[in-house]
Amino acid sequence: MKLAIDETRCKGCNLCTKVCPYKIFKEGKRPNRKGIVVPELDRPERCTNCRLRNLYGRQLCGVCQLTCPDQAIHWTEEEPYEPHKVAIEY
Amino acid sequence: MTRTEFWQGNTACAEGALAAGCNFFGGYPITPSTEVAEHMAAKLPKKGGVFIQMEDEIASMASIIGASWAGSRAMTATSGPGFSLMMENIGFAAMTETPCVVVNVQRGGPSTGQPTMSAQGDMMQVRFGSHGDYAIIALCPATVQEMFELTVKAFNLADKYRVPVFLMADETVGHMREKILVPDKVERVSRKPFVPGTPPFRTTDPDLVPGFPQFGTGQHVHVTGLTHDERGYPAATNPGLHMALVKRLVDKIENARYEMADYDIINPDAEQVFVAYGGPVRTVQQVLHDSPNNDIGFLRIRTVWPFPENALAEFRNARRFLIPEMNLGQIAREIERHVKVPVKSIPKLGGELHTPAELVAALEAKQ
Amino acid sequence: MSFDDWYRQDRLPHIYCAGCGNGTIINCTLAAIDQMGWKKEETVFVSGIGCSSRAPGYILTDSLHTTHGRALAFATGVKMANRDLHVVVFTGDGDLAAIGGNHFIHACRRNIDITVVCMNNQIYGMTGGQGSPTTPKGCLSSTTPYGCTETPFDLCELATAAGANYVARWTSYHVKELEKAVKVGLETPGFSFIEALVQCPTAFGRRNKFRQVADHVEYLKVHSLLRAKRDRMLEAGEHIPEDMFVVGELTRRNRPAMGVKP
Repeated sequence: MKLAIDETRCKGCNLCTKVCPYKIFKEGKRPNRKGIVVPELDRPERCTNCRLRNLYGRQLCGVCQLTCPDQAIHWTEEEPYEPHKVAIEY
Repeated sequence: MTRTEFWQGNTACAEGALAAGCNFFGGYPITPSTEVAEHMAAKLPKKGGVFIQMEDEIASMASIIGASWAGSRAMTATSGPGFSLMMENIGFAAMTETPCVVVNVQRGGPSTGQPTMSAQGDMMQVRFGSHGDYAIIALCPATVQEMFELTVKAFNLADKYRVPVFLMADETVGHMREKILVPDKVERVSRKPFVPGTPPFRTTDPDLVPGFPQFGTGQHVHVTGLTHDERGYPAATNPGLHMALVKRLVDKIENARYEMADYDIINPDAEQVFVAYGGPVRTVQQVLHDSPNNDIGFLRIRTVWPFPENALAEFRNARRFLIPEMNLGQIAREIERHVKVPVKSIPKLGGELHTPAELVAALEAKQ
Repeated sequence: MSFDDWYRQDRLPHIYCAGCGNGTIINCTLAAIDQMGWKKEETVFVSGIGCSSRAPGYILTDSLHTTHGRALAFATGVKMANRDLHVVVFTGDGDLAAIGGNHFIHACRRNIDITVVCMNNQIYGMTGGQGSPTTPKGCLSSTTPYGCTETPFDLCELATAAGANYVARWTSYHVKELEKAVKVGLETPGFSFIEALVQCPTAFGRRNKFRQVADHVEYLKVHSLLRAKRDRMLEAGEHIPEDMFVVGELTRRNRPAMGVKP
């Protein structure tokens, strides 16, 4: 799973930066087109739900999504990895 | 088939509601309308309906609007002070196009006034009492028979036009006992069905009434008292939309005024014409009965709002209209707007009907 | 399915200010409803007037946005007319405790089977920050410019005293706990009242030294006293600080209820 912030909804309140136990959300630095400073993601692959949701088959943690007053945080399914054929040359 | 009963007006009203399929009553005790609530409390649960005594009239009106959206034919009954409390949610019902029936057995006002005495002082309040522009339907019974029939009619009009309909009785009619012929079956008009997938607050029908998207049927309708667009979503700062919405709410009633007009015309060639509704009808009938020459005109109105002004034009020779009312001339002023000849208001406050002698004296007076 | 599916996506983003806690409470409520497995067509949201009461307009069910303070009276009508409907009321402190106070205690007394989520921001937010019946003593608002001198309501105590079957209080910080409390409230027959203290950065925080949203949320977190701890402190005869408020499940009982689905 992949964590994403919907910039069309985020109002820049930074509550997510307070509640995430992994401190994945960092205060943003520059305003977007609407003048809102949207938080940035710091190594989002650390997120429990990103890593383990598909393994457990249920929502894990999710405090940021519940807390986000503007419904801007969600997870998207990642494209499954295509098996690559690797040719090893000796 | 009909059966004969000897009922009080308020009982006839409650029985009319039951015959019309009323299955929700939210009320609060107030003289002189309490008998309606008492009768409904006894009868509704046995018919599978719901009677609930709310904490005040504000809540009574709110509960019937909620019940109406949940699919009930809902009604409440009250009198002057309670009617004033209901005004807030009456405006809400008008804005959200909620069908419901409100019975107002009028008593002397202002304020607590005369709880056990008769009056017609709420006739302008019913039309204009809540804030903003809106339109409603008000019916005025003059007999116990009409208490029954007009209550049935009120439910049908409410469902047909999606509007709060008022039965503006007065204490005289509400507490009077009279012979009444009760039909086994009454006409029932149901709400216009909603076409799924269409915007819930838009209509292309000429009657301007959209279909009713009842709660619990999966229409996901948002009902709000804010100015709303065709989807029901708030759009309170859109001037054009507000104009169009309020205009439609008013027009759907005003355009149908002749269709729903209910009145009797007696002696249309007369020069002196009485116009009456509710309790004073009975005195005028006595005056007509006693008149030796049969030359007095009489317009007896049952649908007071929207006002059927076309009926006044039927009296082509009229030189004067006389309006006996148990208020200081509320409908007389409405009639003045529509006729060119003099209009004489015959007001009476205090809680008693006009006597025939008073009306004859007014008839004979030059001014 | 997640609680996000319950939103009217065409209506978002909502009108709430940046950092307003109301959105959080809606999330938690919808998450609880989602867990209940209710269908959208059998769920009805009712609300009155105020910031909190705009919530039903963003939810993809039948919703009734009514007059100021009257939400519970409307909800009573909906529930009694059709007991198959699940009725949830969103309300605020001004809507519920001030103008709707009478409807509130009577809905509790009837113990009617609806769930009420009260977003208590301790201020009138929509009209620009006037003092409400839950504004704490000493707090500044536009109508209490020298500090509020009136004693605030304890809404949970009120609901308990008036006869509600389930009463709980949490804050916008305790999202998981709030979600569970709402779920228990939805499961409990009879009147369930869940008070959620929320931050209002625009109208309350601005005047009361919470410059950042996070500061206010931190205040809610630090000043909430778990019910169990409160009970322990009471047993030990310890003093409970004035500015603490109790959170947790405060009442759960099984008094006869009205309007329960047969």
